Amino acid sequence: MTPDPLNRLVAQLAKLPGIGEKTAQRLAFHILRAPGEFAVDLSQAIREVKEKVHLCTRCFSLTDSELCGFCRDSRREERALCVVETFADLMALERTREFKGRYHVLHGVLSPLEGVGPEQLRIKELLERLNDSRVEEIILATNPDVEGEATALYLTRLLKPMGLRLTRIAQGLPMGGDLEFADQATLAKALSARRDL
Amino acid sequence: MRLLGLQLQDFRNLSQVQLLPSPHATIAVGQNGQGKTNLLEALYFLATLKPLRAGRLSELVKWGASNARVTGRFLLKGAEREISVEVGGGTRQAFVDGKKAASLEDYFGGVSVVAFTPDDLEVIKGGPDARRSFLDRAVFNRFPAFLRESREYARALKNRNRLLREGAAVEPAYLEAYDETLAKAGARLYARRRALMAELAPRAQATFASIGRTVDPAVYGYHPAHLSGDFSQADEAALAGALREALTARLRRDLDRGFTSVGPHADDVTVTLGGRSARAYASQGQQRALVLGWKIAEIENLEGAMGFLPLLLLDDVSSELDPERNAYLMNYLAKSGAQVFLTTTDASLVHAAAAQDTLWLSVSTGQVREGLPDVPA
Repeated sequence: MTPDPLNRLVAQLAKLPGIGEKTAQRLAFHILRAPGEFAVDLSQAIREVKEKVHLCTRCFSLTDSELCGFCRDSRREERALCVVETFADLMALERTREFKGRYHVLHGVLSPLEGVGPEQLRIKELLERLNDSRVEEIILATNPDVEGEATALYLTRLLKPMGLRLTRIAQGLPMGGDLEFADQATLAKALSARRDL
Repeated sequence: MRLLGLQLQDFRNLSQVQLLPSPHATIAVGQNGQGKTNLLEALYFLATLKPLRAGRLSELVKWGASNARVTGRFLLKGAEREISVEVGGGTRQAFVDGKKAASLEDYFGGVSVVAFTPDDLEVIKGGPDARRSFLDRAVFNRFPAFLRESREYARALKNRNRLLREGAAVEPAYLEAYDETLAKAGARLYARRRALMAELAPRAQATFASIGRTVDPAVYGYHPAHLSGDFSQADEAALAGALREALTARLRRDLDRGFTSVGPHADDVTVTLGGRSARAYASQGQQRALVLGWKIAEIENLEGAMGFLPLLLLDDVSSELDPERNAYLMNYLAKSGAQVFLTTTDASLVHAAAAQDTLWLSVSTGQVREGLPDVPA
């Protein structure tokens, strides 16, 4: 008979995405056997992430203070604002180190099939935020799928009357020349949107 | 492209089949209900992942078995590939050389089939649905990207219909955003279908002229319903604009009914004979010739585009045709050099398509064996 506290830990770990019963057991034994303060540190890290991390009141990315690092950083360009679906998308854009403007995280896309409408996204907050800001360009960086496209078009309708410059990220082939691995629809689109040199 | 070997396991009533098809004609002979068509359907399913006859995936699995599997060894562009598909528990999984195929597009790298079945007549006699899927099958064979593009359109359409059902509560800008998404995806489908028809219609009309035994010319056409402007000349952006206009113009009606009434999903292919609807005015024989004209055009078109002939599957077609048209078809098959699979209840009907290297199969109560069936005394 395994002790109940161990069973409880395994059961909790197994609820994590991508973790099956076996892996959960392995992790639990690891935690149990790990030296020193590991288990205490882990539990504290888990507790803190829940207690301290919340949404930035301005851009709705993640932060442990009122405003996130991107909103507080005075070196970032205030004239460009990039709208993304999720915090993970924001992180992907940050990794490029190309974009020096600010962000706005919608927390989803418009999807009638999933029952997600404009009220469920941080769209009202985006409009409010633009009222007294120095933003000149808005980059719509939602995904190039049906819902992402519709969301970008919806935002275009709301934002166009404000006289801002609206841009949409381009789509096409991934860098690195893997033409042979691109799917046929992407390739067909890239071919029809070819440009003169 | 050539099929070198075919293996079936628990597919419909066929529990175990293994055969090495002829490079030209393979002919399965048997009485009705013995499993001839199942053999063709297995091959069709392998190439398209779709059942040939309407029904659910689970119907493809032999009664009492948990999985069905079809495996084909193909010679594709000079290399031998093993392609297989497994059905079980209501889902299907494709494998290429034993490895799971990640996407359908990977899988459809180069296998294409054109099937002739007695149900084809529905294309002339039946409703727009039958003609649309007939058309789209040909479009997909010709432009593989169409599979994904039509799925995108279907998704946009479902989303818009859901919004329509929510009715007056929906903010206009929200609906407009989906109108525009739908219009863009729809314009792509319009352009694909138009491109296919431009290639196919002249060939089909010419083929009909030689088999129709009719003075009146046949015309196959695709003209989207409720769309203003010159469809034949407009570019994709203009098509998207025209579809948006039509969506706006029909919005009130669509809101009342809760679905979208204009777009590629609601279009039809018109087939006329001497300017009159073939559905209403053509004789049974002329209707069969019209379908045959289309199919042969599709084969030639694919050969022109891909550089090789598709596999041809003919399910009991000869018994439906009059002797003269049947002779035309059999001669066409023999001359084309295509790899052909035929089923028939009467071997004498398809003799003209057979040659020295024909593989004859006899099918009886789910058993397939080589050779002609014994003639009952």
